[in-house]
Amino acid sequence: MRKPGVFHPARSFGVGTVLNYVLLALLGFMTFFPLYNILVVSLTGPAKIAAADGLSVIPHDFSFATYITLVQIPKVAKGLFNSLYITAAGVLINMVLTCLAAYALSRPKLPGKPFFMVFIIITMIFEGGLIPDFLLMKNLHLLNNYYSVILYKAVNAYYLIIMIRFFEEVPLSLIEAGKMDGVTETRTLVSIVLPVSKAGVATVSLFYAVFHWNEYFRAMIYLTNPDKWPLQVVLRELIVSGDKAAFIGALNYLKYEVGAAQVDMKALKAGVIILAVLPILFLYPILLRYFSKGALSGAVKE
Amino acid sequence: MSDPIRGNGARHEQTKGNPLIKTIAPYTPLYLMLLPALIYLTVFSYVPMWGARLAFMDFSFVGKHTFVGFKHFATLFGSTAFGSVIANTIIISAMKIFINFPMPIILALMLSEVRSRRFARIIQSVVYLPHFLSWVVIAGIFINLLALEEGAINRILVFFGGTQFPFLTQGTSIRWVFVFSEMWRSIGWDSLLFIAAIMRIDVEVFEAAIADGAGTFRRIFSITLPAILPTIVTVFILNLGFFMNAGFDQVFNLMNDAVLSKVDILDTYVYRLGLQNGEFSYATAAGLFKGVIGLFLIFGTHFGSKRLTGKGVW
Repeated sequence: MRKPGVFHPARSFGVGTVLNYVLLALLGFMTFFPLYNILVVSLTGPAKIAAADGLSVIPHDFSFATYITLVQIPKVAKGLFNSLYITAAGVLINMVLTCLAAYALSRPKLPGKPFFMVFIIITMIFEGGLIPDFLLMKNLHLLNNYYSVILYKAVNAYYLIIMIRFFEEVPLSLIEAGKMDGVTETRTLVSIVLPVSKAGVATVSLFYAVFHWNEYFRAMIYLTNPDKWPLQVVLRELIVSGDKAAFIGALNYLKYEVGAAQVDMKALKAGVIILAVLPILFLYPILLRYFSKGALSGAVKE
Repeated sequence: MSDPIRGNGARHEQTKGNPLIKTIAPYTPLYLMLLPALIYLTVFSYVPMWGARLAFMDFSFVGKHTFVGFKHFATLFGSTAFGSVIANTIIISAMKIFINFPMPIILALMLSEVRSRRFARIIQSVVYLPHFLSWVVIAGIFINLLALEEGAINRILVFFGGTQFPFLTQGTSIRWVFVFSEMWRSIGWDSLLFIAAIMRIDVEVFEAAIADGAGTFRRIFSITLPAILPTIVTVFILNLGFFMNAGFDQVFNLMNDAVLSKVDILDTYVYRLGLQNGEFSYATAAGLFKGVIGLFLIFGTHFGSKRLTGKGVW
């Protein structure tokens, strides 16, 4: 009998074992600290912000001043709204297209299935490229339209294939039983297949949600009006240019006339980074549960 | 759609009419469900593929583009920028692959030697996190980390009596910033496949080896590594297939004018020329060149991998 599973090394206090633990803890620390430090800087109050640096561990003069300032900056508030809107609309469209197609392709006897699979896999390997993509958006009159970004990768071949794998695992007997009762294919998908493949639906929608939330480049080149920019583009502008006046905006500068000098760029940058990471941190526990499963089911091909 | 209720054509006798229509007609609802995705891919993937023929034309805002054959490719290969862009792409990609590739394997091995599952799980949940962050955020984190005066790294350097170093604006260090930020981002996530492969190994083999007096390293080199070798080879080959992608998002967000000549890769070159300078045709040609090389690499690695491990890229 093959006995796979977690191998438990013997209890040991040897140098190697200790070193192993120390190095792993160090790696964990090096991964965690840079992000934690940014959180600390963003929560440091105006009185102590000048002293905060890359090694700060505790937010002195603890305050939410940075975030209160940030949400009053129209760019940031709009950026948050745009990001949420693009992500929500994007995932909805992704899931409708992906689930419908994955269901059809998960039916074992669908005539022409190999052809459709090749048609889809080709889109993973061949790409038109940046300029043809851009010109297509221009020709479709989608430039400066939210849909140029919402529809970007609306069907992702990788995620579609993962979804097909999940649907293929739904017992055929369940589906056939529905057929006998005269249930349509769409009803079968909605009331039998989707509820059974909850894990799959969660995995793939999370994949898509993270993708949309993190997308900045297409938004940057397709959305010419900065009012439509998602948070990631606003953050990029802030990090690359680092220009306080441009970031806060001339009109707002007047609004903050007392505080403008105190509004610390370091804290604002840190705050926007945290805002851009926050939804992912919230979702992270769920992400951890589903993503590793999903990533493996996509990668481990039989 | 002769029988929409029992939508399974296999059960029906094919007595009259066109046999092909007879076979597929019951599947009409399924085809209709597939249709939106196919239309989407046709418009948003296949049309731009066809659009890439712009590389052989002169772009014109009004009227038809004129066919110019390989003119843009000739300009491209003749330009001085092209040589350095190719060199940068290859150097950055090679540095990242060869230095970073073993890291997740080492991490997986280290994690598998940890007795406390709880400790291993905590470390794993921390090191997977950067995978989910955008490169804009990661660039922000590294700019903060490597800043002069206040950045953590320079603070530590000064503390130990060293001098500050402008890592992001020096040609000598910027590529290493790419290597390490990539490592920071993906060491954890990339270890996942190897951890899964290690978990598939028969525990009894380990136990037998220990009973025979094999030490930790003996166990790793004689059992674990040979057992996960197919996974290692497959992942490595896959990486080679995407060699021409030196990492647009990373380079784009961490680059600056001071180091442009050291970091300008094919993808950033296409962006600058195409979308900033408006040289649509020329940039399409550069992009197509990259695509064709990438295609050769992917097909090459696919068949190479099939021969070596029996598993292809797809």
